[in-house]
Amino acid sequence: MDFSEAAERISRKFSKEGQPADKTKIEGKLKRLVQEFGVQPSEAERSVTNELAKEYNVPLPGAGPGTGKSSGGTEEKKIAEASPGEWVTFEGKVVALSAPASPAIAQSGILADESGAIRFVAWAKANAPAMTEGSWYRIESGVVDEYKGVANLKIHSGTTIKEISEDRTLIPTPIPVADLHPGIGGVRAKVVQEWEASHERMLQSGLLGDETGTIKFVIWKEPGREKLEVGGVYNIFYAQVDEFNGRLSLNLNGATVLQEEGDIPVSGGEAEFTGALVHVAPGSGIIKRCPVEGCNRALSRQNYCPVHEIQPKFVYDLRIKGWLDDGEKTHSILLQRDAVEALTGIDLAAAQEIAENNPLGMDEVFLQMRDKVLGRYVTCKGREIDNRLLVNTCEPKKFESAEHTNLLNRAGGAS
Amino acid sequence: MSTPARDMPRREGSFEREPARRVFAGELRECHYQFKDGEDEKSPTFVLLPTGERCNRVFIVGTLTEKTRQGEQNIFYRGRVVDPTGTFFVMAGSYQPEAMQQLAKIETPAFVAVIGKPNLYRKDEASAPMVSVRVESITIVDKDTRDIWVLDAAERTLDRINALRTGDSTDIVKAKEQYPTIDPAVFHRMAYDALAQIKM
Repeated sequence: MDFSEAAERISRKFSKEGQPADKTKIEGKLKRLVQEFGVQPSEAERSVTNELAKEYNVPLPGAGPGTGKSSGGTEEKKIAEASPGEWVTFEGKVVALSAPASPAIAQSGILADESGAIRFVAWAKANAPAMTEGSWYRIESGVVDEYKGVANLKIHSGTTIKEISEDRTLIPTPIPVADLHPGIGGVRAKVVQEWEASHERMLQSGLLGDETGTIKFVIWKEPGREKLEVGGVYNIFYAQVDEFNGRLSLNLNGATVLQEEGDIPVSGGEAEFTGALVHVAPGSGIIKRCPVEGCNRALSRQNYCPVHEIQPKFVYDLRIKGWLDDGEKTHSILLQRDAVEALTGIDLAAAQEIAENNPLGMDEVFLQMRDKVLGRYVTCKGREIDNRLLVNTCEPKKFESAEHTNLLNRAGGAS
Repeated sequence: MSTPARDMPRREGSFEREPARRVFAGELRECHYQFKDGEDEKSPTFVLLPTGERCNRVFIVGTLTEKTRQGEQNIFYRGRVVDPTGTFFVMAGSYQPEAMQQLAKIETPAFVAVIGKPNLYRKDEASAPMVSVRVESITIVDKDTRDIWVLDAAERTLDRINALRTGDSTDIVKAKEQYPTIDPAVFHRMAYDALAQIKM
């Protein structure tokens, strides 16, 4: 691969600043990054440029013609480099606008450049000119702060906004789901599950996944927002990544969502564990669920649903909650009806018959199931969410004489 | 599969349950060092296995050969569970009502799977420490489960011996200090004998 062109580009930027820039040295650095470390050529060019800029202590060249010098006393930065508490100058494109959450806010949305994206808020008091989606702006003297753990650009009365003519196309690189962190992020992922909406303002929620993991997503009702198709693959740009109780979720309002053809593998959360079932938790066996559409919560013994109160017309279900232990680590598992029936040999009808006619009632189902599974070796396959394996299939482990032979050989060796 | 997220208890998110170690009776019997991890009253207690691993919980499968009911006011059950290398002493008292009922119901002899917590105790000041297992649960299982367990316990034992020879974790260092006279080759031999008892 030829790096002389890129090296020439970098060298020219710095000699314009009156700095000596050795082309061969630059070329060597680029080569090393690309060939030894597998860095993308464009990323290598950026990183070498940044390195030299630091070394020569000059403002980053190349952010666009004639913008090498910062003004207004704030430093011009790439969006990804800004951290909370800083006064900044950005050049970026407004890639999304969202409805202001309060009359104190004139505009809010997302500003992006090549390096990343950030949410911005323009205060009504700032009297800032309204920005339009899809246009480029130079925003001088904004303040980056933190709101709900996420970096946020505040546009206040001291901020100046200038529309600039730029038509660079921004193609954000999707981030693997497992690498997402609070802020703005984009993914290329498949809709693997759709959940019942738990709020009347919610349009859709569910699970998105790629080969690295899965993440919850939510879309709130808003004109122009459409539901995603289950099984569809989407390129999602500039979605808001929120954190709640240590778990991440993607808010797609404000994001650019493009469906694409085809399919991608989702191994996210797919897990398989073999071990002994060392605990069957209370609440396993036959349970009653709330019949209210979309609720499905487990009811108490008195048929009480935490949301819908007494529900005499409950529906029965089977489940086993427990711990699967391989001697090194213990996994929390949840078996749903199909897996419970297959493993215990007791189907829902038989369990219901026991629950309604045995003096011990539902407890008897728990005891019978516990005695059939506790202390047994099983292999569970399913999806791991929140440190709990939702089991799709659970099969008893069989004695393998090949394993036996291998171990005999291993133990028979040097002792 | 559409389990709503709210059904998942968030409390358990960060909780790590202590794994149940696979250990032969012949090794557990040799334990005479017990320690607490942390100062808290509720900090877990561990016995240190001579092969250099801490152990707060065990999973054992063997034959329940004997059980006796003891105590007048505070009833408790003792049992002997035999594996190819020796005997585990298990007990369940009124503080483990569920385990006690399970143990009370089982007719000996039977293959059983026991999950429980090992504890060291002495009959009196002068006697050597004994290890007993306080039962969390005990269920009747089939012979296949017993055989799988022997493989499992043998494999884990060999793994621990390997780690003991090459590793330098705090537990390994402590085991070498606490059990200076025990040669791990004994447990290697024991694992082989246990495997050899299973018919090919």
